[in-house]
Amino acid sequence: MYRKAFLFNGIGSKPEKLTVKLPPELTDRFMHYRSEAFGRLGLHTEPEKNAPFDRKVAEWIISLICDRVVFEYYTGKGIIPDIGAGYSSGIVSISGCFGAVSHECAQDIIMMNRATMRCIEEKGAGLDMGAVIGFSHSELSGLLRERFTEEELVIGSGNSSFHTMICGQAEAVEKALELCRREGALKAFSLGTGLAYHHPVMKEYSKEYIAFCTAAEYSAPAYPVLSVFDRGIMTEGNRIMKENQLNVYTPIRWDLAMKKLEELGVTEFFDVSADSAVSRFSRVSRNCRIYTLEDV
Amino acid sequence: MKEITEEIRQEIRDMIFDYYAEECETDRSSITMETDPQNDLGSDSLMFVELIEMTAEKYGLDVKLQSIGKYMLRTPMNTMKDVVDMFCRIYQYGNDITDQ
Repeated sequence: MYRKAFLFNGIGSKPEKLTVKLPPELTDRFMHYRSEAFGRLGLHTEPEKNAPFDRKVAEWIISLICDRVVFEYYTGKGIIPDIGAGYSSGIVSISGCFGAVSHECAQDIIMMNRATMRCIEEKGAGLDMGAVIGFSHSELSGLLRERFTEEELVIGSGNSSFHTMICGQAEAVEKALELCRREGALKAFSLGTGLAYHHPVMKEYSKEYIAFCTAAEYSAPAYPVLSVFDRGIMTEGNRIMKENQLNVYTPIRWDLAMKKLEELGVTEFFDVSADSAVSRFSRVSRNCRIYTLEDV
Repeated sequence: MKEITEEIRQEIRDMIFDYYAEECETDRSSITMETDPQNDLGSDSLMFVELIEMTAEKYGLDVKLQSIGKYMLRTPMNTMKDVVDMFCRIYQYGNDITDQ
């Protein structure tokens, strides 16, 4: 039943790295969508002209628009997903591209992160996230379990057998990264976000974001979406809405989601990110393949 | 320890150069043993992981990334020569590379 899965990336890629990968015909479309979105949202296309929080969300909106452009390119080529999954804020992207919310609403959801950032700043919470390359979720879990409490940090995302993300109190994240380096991480570095997406503490800072999702109008997605939290198949708008909320304060198991997609019969994965980021941190079995924009 | 011939060493070198040329979209002939993979070619740690996976598959090696990471703590990969040397050591020592 499920053969083709579309994979949506989260935030993190630099806009210039995303847009440089778009072929000319997609660049035109990107420019058009960006102009529409930035005009509506009151964002400047020159990053430095935006206020600090606006600058951050502007980058994320660019990522969202790139996903939309690549998604439309794939479907325009006749590649139709049987199912999809969104990594972190890729959940917002997939909500828009699969029609659970309008593209404008998806942008508005991203914009609500400003309220979260403002709240964290007001409360003076020192938070951070970090990427660890060279450890699987279980290996890292074994290393951190005895040394840190869940209040201090959690594994925010298990991405593959060699890629994980941690999040929590900035000081604990820094200590954990140092520990990972000593224990043989190929690379362990702070993302310097000032946020700790996927850590439970984010719930109290994201009340406005969560309320916005509750009030937004969600429809059934055009294609099923696999939850990266409980690996359930979501076909109703209400479930997609909850997934958008959970996304802020719940750890992800992307590695298990990929495995589940394979169990469901998926053999062809399509990375919807313009810079092929998903294919780089995800792994599938030998009989499967992840296609990127370059391949298509 | 596994013996490494000059032929295998050359094969590993070619594999690494070809890989970086393709991934970093660089002319293969512009890469030398003195090239800095990170600063000159713009490579990153995810590319490095893929190269390790390719090598392990090609030569049937069983090596943990953390063993390589611990080795790299003492021996940074600043040039392509460092990278080639390290992959030859992975070929020879596998997980015991940490003790080298």
